[in-house]
Amino acid sequence: MAQNSVIIIGKNRLAQEMLELSEAGGFEARIYPDAYAVAASSSLIIETYARDEAEKGEIIKRLDAQFPTSVIVTSCLGFSATRIASWTTRPERVVGFATFYPFKEKKVIELTPGLKTQEHALQEAETFFRALGKEPVRVKDAPGLIFPRILSLIINEAARSLDEGVARAEEIDVAMRLGVNYPSGPLRWGDQIGLDEVLAVLEGLRQETGDDRYRPAPLLKKMVLTGWLGESNGRGFYEHT
Amino acid sequence: MIEPNAKIGVLGAGTMGAGIAQVSAQAGLETLVYDVSQEFIDKGLGRIRGFLKRSRERGKLTAEQEEQIIARLSSSLKLEDFGGCGLIIEAVPEKLELKREVFKKLDSICGPETLLATNTSSFSVTAIAGATRKPERVLGMHFFNPPPLMALVEVIEGDRTSAATMDKATSTVREMGKTPVRAKDTPGFIVNRIARPFYNEALRILGDGDATVETIDRIMKGAGGFPMGPFELMDLIGNDVNFAATESLYLSFFHDPRFRPSPIQQRMVLAGNLGRKTGRGFYTYGAK
Repeated sequence: MAQNSVIIIGKNRLAQEMLELSEAGGFEARIYPDAYAVAASSSLIIETYARDEAEKGEIIKRLDAQFPTSVIVTSCLGFSATRIASWTTRPERVVGFATFYPFKEKKVIELTPGLKTQEHALQEAETFFRALGKEPVRVKDAPGLIFPRILSLIINEAARSLDEGVARAEEIDVAMRLGVNYPSGPLRWGDQIGLDEVLAVLEGLRQETGDDRYRPAPLLKKMVLTGWLGESNGRGFYEHT
Repeated sequence: MIEPNAKIGVLGAGTMGAGIAQVSAQAGLETLVYDVSQEFIDKGLGRIRGFLKRSRERGKLTAEQEEQIIARLSSSLKLEDFGGCGLIIEAVPEKLELKREVFKKLDSICGPETLLATNTSSFSVTAIAGATRKPERVLGMHFFNPPPLMALVEVIEGDRTSAATMDKATSTVREMGKTPVRAKDTPGFIVNRIARPFYNEALRILGDGDATVETIDRIMKGAGGFPMGPFELMDLIGNDVNFAATESLYLSFFHDPRFRPSPIQQRMVLAGNLGRKTGRGFYTYGAK
């Protein structure tokens, strides 16, 4: 069971996609909602929580204690891989990844080492994602890496514009699709991804850099606090039935 | 809508002006083009003729349609000739004082029914409307480059633009075969503002040494599904044009760090590495 198996941690849609892709890629894959429920062993663990330092920290610490040698590939949407690795006793086997739901249709997956991450851990993560049919690309460590970082800032600016009454949601989305050929309008895109994930990236960047350019739009924060996360629960910038 | 059969006036025969005039004439509207010299007008109309000829050669237009479109275009060197237009779209160079001067003249030349639109992308419609005595009929109509190919027009409501003006302008945009979106007069309107992080954050990531130009472009296409990467797109737009847009937003929002321009791009502009048009930008092109 050590070879070609993977444990996936999370109860979000991304975790579910990772499970399906792993199975399709020939892995013996098991999914658990959190680190306490894990009843198997594997040399590879994919951990998908984006936000909440206390919650994610507890999951990572638990995994660190339970699986002393496994490679931990963790979502670094909301924290740098180095920060996540600092919660463990063995940071050299922690690798960060960043992507947004839906992952299935994406060709590329971004990976990053923390400062102490060893080459073999990165290579193991790369081999895994290649088996899933994805092209791994290495970048330097920062919350949200590249695509989630840039898109979160676009969605943040769209949320600000909406909140300020610049235009209605539909008009903002139509304008970005037709004016600059975006594959989706940013507000509808945010609803699809999950607004909590978008907020995680912005808060993570603000925390890591201290730069005000990352401050989240007040409307985005209110919506996440209210539980209007987008498609996944029926209400975001739009109603989803 | 504006009065049926009312003429459309287009001020400025540059890239945007000529493109807007073409859109208008192609939609069946009589269109009058202004510029300050016959040379500029000839150049602009020549560009339209070239575009139409290529469309005909590709089978998108018949020779008869091509002739009719050209017949709908006329030109003048005198602003006084625009008094009878139902709508005038201003696309003169992006200088606020120049635009205000033009609108002040139009205000006295045109009857109260004429709508006055500016195609500005970097100035406030309200500031331009302030040069007139009737700001209710002044609005923004922001076309995208190149106008004949880009479906979007942002219809901008200045602080004193009337609802009737917005409604008429919106239906005229539809009549021109374009998709209107309405927005309030705020810096960058919708597109130029919300698209800023696509360029600016990519530049920040590059500056921080987090990834190369090629890697960032590859990720934005391969993971993000964007048709072009940010650096390919900046090279296409022109780094001078892109940097000016960022700088304008940065100044308009009084130095909000969200819009802080990138020293990398500034240096490229100063060095003349503007992108495809100079053969060198973030990438190198051709043999230039």
